[in-house]
Amino acid sequence: MTISKKETSILIEIFYSVVFALVFLPYFYENQNKNLILMDGLIDIIIQIIISSVIYFAVCYSILEIVFKRKESRDERDNMIDSKSYKLGYLLYELSLFIIIGYFCSQLQNKELLNLTGNHELYNSFQLTDGGIVFLILVLLAFISIIKSSYHFYLHRTN
Amino acid sequence: MILKNNLKEVRQKNGLTQEELGNYVGVSRQTIISIERYRYKPTLELAMKIAAKLNTKIEKLFFFE
Repeated sequence: MTISKKETSILIEIFYSVVFALVFLPYFYENQNKNLILMDGLIDIIIQIIISSVIYFAVCYSILEIVFKRKESRDERDNMIDSKSYKLGYLLYELSLFIIIGYFCSQLQNKELLNLTGNHELYNSFQLTDGGIVFLILVLLAFISIIKSSYHFYLHRTN
Repeated sequence: MILKNNLKEVRQKNGLTQEELGNYVGVSRQTIISIERYRYKPTLELAMKIAAKLNTKIEKLFFFE
């Protein structure tokens, strides 16, 4: 099975998303009940994410340029494949936006329930901190990125 | 009705490789492979460029079946 430069660069993106989900998301999962200001080592994690991303992509794309010396030009088929995968990504982003809005609405409803019933246990079970919001957004971004890139790769192989 | 083509036969008759034809019309080898396998339907502009390069009429190169 031969693999082109474009397909390899998509695989690099997928690998990065998976590694990001496995390495950095557990930290946000563990701290999802805290507020951002109370998270231990948040700045360190953000710096780690930025530096590791820059190094990873710089190294990978440098190796890619060395291995695939010939420049691959973009053509109409690439544009079609890109637009199809971006369309899927856009739909998933829209869907996740609805999920987040729905979640926030449920929080407001729980506040109302607290006012009506005074049930603190029910209210606390649905509390959402800003750490939780960050975790939710990062999970969705990683998930959407993996799905979109996988579909992009699939289209390159089959179209 | 499926849009088919006899690009492979015509290209081979003209003694061109997929890579060479792709370079002439400004697309990648993968695009030529996809067209020959009926996976990708080229735009009118690309179809006309290919037909012109292969000295054939577009309707002889691409047809419905």
